[in-house]
Amino acid sequence: MIARPGSTLWLLAHEMRLGWRTLLARRGENRRGGWIALATVGLVTLAGGVPIGLMLRRVEITVTPTGILLADAILAVIFSLMLSQTLAAAADVLYDRGDLDLLFSSPIDPRKVLTVRFAAIALNLFLVFSAFLGPFLIPIALIGHPPWLSAFLVLASVAIAATACGLVVAMGMFAAIGPRRTRTIAQVTSALIGAGFFLVTQARNIFGAPVGSVWSDLVAAATAPGVVMPPVAALPLRALLGDPGAVAILLVTALAMFAGVNLWLGGRFAADSAAAAGAEASAVKARTRPVAFTGGAFAATVRKELRLMSRDAALMSQVMLRVLYLLPLAFVLVRNAGSQSLLALPGGAAALAFVAGQVAASLAWITVSAEDAPDLIAGAPTPIAIARRAKLAAAFIPVAALLAPILVTLIVLEPRVGLAATAGCAAATVANGLINIWYQRPAKRSEFRRRRGSSWISTLAEVAVGVCIAAATGLAAAGLAWALIPALLAGLLLLAVRRTDAQIAQALRVAAR
Amino acid sequence: MTDALVIRGLNKTFRTPAVDNLDLTVRSGELYALLGPNGAGKTTTLRMVAGLLKPDTGSISVFGVDALADPMAAKQLIAWAPDEPMLYDRLTPLEYLEFVAGLWGVEAATARNRSEELLRMLGLWDERGRRCEGFSRGMKQKTALAGALIHDPKLLILDEPLTGLDAGAARQVKDLLTARTRAGATVILTTHILEVAERMADRIGIIQHGRLLIEGRLEELRAQAGDGDASLEDLFLDLTGQTEAAPA
Repeated sequence: MIARPGSTLWLLAHEMRLGWRTLLARRGENRRGGWIALATVGLVTLAGGVPIGLMLRRVEITVTPTGILLADAILAVIFSLMLSQTLAAAADVLYDRGDLDLLFSSPIDPRKVLTVRFAAIALNLFLVFSAFLGPFLIPIALIGHPPWLSAFLVLASVAIAATACGLVVAMGMFAAIGPRRTRTIAQVTSALIGAGFFLVTQARNIFGAPVGSVWSDLVAAATAPGVVMPPVAALPLRALLGDPGAVAILLVTALAMFAGVNLWLGGRFAADSAAAAGAEASAVKARTRPVAFTGGAFAATVRKELRLMSRDAALMSQVMLRVLYLLPLAFVLVRNAGSQSLLALPGGAAALAFVAGQVAASLAWITVSAEDAPDLIAGAPTPIAIARRAKLAAAFIPVAALLAPILVTLIVLEPRVGLAATAGCAAATVANGLINIWYQRPAKRSEFRRRRGSSWISTLAEVAVGVCIAAATGLAAAGLAWALIPALLAGLLLLAVRRTDAQIAQALRVAAR
Repeated sequence: MTDALVIRGLNKTFRTPAVDNLDLTVRSGELYALLGPNGAGKTTTLRMVAGLLKPDTGSISVFGVDALADPMAAKQLIAWAPDEPMLYDRLTPLEYLEFVAGLWGVEAATARNRSEELLRMLGLWDERGRRCEGFSRGMKQKTALAGALIHDPKLLILDEPLTGLDAGAARQVKDLLTARTRAGATVILTTHILEVAERMADRIGIIQHGRLLIEGRLEELRAQAGDGDASLEDLFLDLTGQTEAAPA
């Protein structure tokens, strides 16, 4: 390594080496998944990026109010998504210490350690978003607009700025609400920010305002006579189009924000990080709630899983995110149920079934595969089938609690749609739960967030079965017998991916090697 | 009286043989210390007894129950406590015991009473409402031990139960184990702390390369080794070929 040991560059190289090896190790676990990801990127590049690049080859984009607004909106969305990621990552730096104790016990300035860790957050954000945008951006730029490659620098600027802002928000929370609540609130806030733009676009659905578009309102306002947009608003578009001055301004501003946050909060963050070690646990008040001791293995396992889920801030934020997506859907369904809207109701019922399946899949994945004491359960005189059923039941209870008010209202207002939606939600929930049993990948809950990726077969199966059940639900809600076809298809798909107990055991043995 | 554990011709091979044609008998009501160097096959053997690992060949009988043919009946009699406590960080000790009692089907009133008794005995009663995530290693170990005892097992299997415990906690665990054997339970433990085996165990077995080298009471081991004054440490190092002195 060229950098001097203990220097910032040396630490950054260390972080990157660890990150790279973690990535390689994951690929090693699932080499086929890696090839599929690579093939997907190639396919998206060829089928999406190249045709768009050819279409845009001769198109000249100029700086117009609409263009400015579009570029600002895109970057605002990316910034908000990055901010939500940073917030969660900053909380993790505080709590998921990893090798922080080792680094802090060394004679290296803790500020330096944290600067590197913050830089790693920004780098990670940049790489993730580049991976998504690259297959489109690179062909478009190479085919007709080489200056547009500057979009990557804009992306880097946004990642750096979002990291700085996320750290400020995390530190603010730490000071305001203390170490224990920070993690939970940070996770939930990150989910809220992530869903923020979706909720804004759905505001009209939620509040029942006349049909219109937030975007067209904004464009109308920006292009109205006499409206002059400030020059700073045009910076993102100019930078995206390759204006070196604009790119430099964005990059320097972002770096200045990052450096400022490091200087201002670095020392404080180091102290808070030390304070957070153990504070999370010790701050949990000793509350002796009554404990039931009744109901046997099934009830005990359900209770245990529900407790663990309710105490998992990261999981709760994920579920909340799904719930946020459910809300507008629920409003659309219930409002249209009164007005007899023929198209919105079956579509809404279908979407409800799909989302229910997805929420159930997330929860079942955690309850079935995240197990801190697998030997305890394996060593107990309880048939494994009971433990599995209990874990699935624990995953289904929150889904049922979330959906019950919507489904009951629907059944009362529109019985056919309501019953179809209920059957669809139940089918999607059970189907995705079973897929997660068949393709479980046990890991300790504490390690789970790092290696939670399920198998590609189960992910594909969840989506495919979910789509089929959603289609069947929609058609049934519309009163069409064609619903039987997608329902049958969902059944066949489930049969195709089904694993017997012996096959599950064999897969678990292979995974344990 | 039926023996607590009878192992015959037990074999388990991973890449190399971990347990090699092992025969072992543990009598009912005794505290048996299974000793051996790292990698000797102790944990593999005990995991097979606990039903966590399937042997390649051989038989395991727990109080007359064929543990391979009827694992559920055997598990009902056994408690297994590995060196790494099997706990849930986000559950309190009381919630953990409730869960374990549920797994073993312990009747509610019995489980409630036994939980209080065990937590008080192990000095954890005041911590019963705190989540385990903030516990020290010793407290976690004791909570796991309480979990192992909640169903009043006839055969208690402990893998390195004293690892990481301070003197006070180690004393509590040792007292508890002694009390269990006096009450008629059978205890099998592995330990690298030979003084513990020397003081507590009724009989000692030493295995290496998955085979039982020697077993018996301490005086029987001394007699077999032909050294009436040897300490267990001397015998152990001698038998396992680890007598080379450390370089000065």
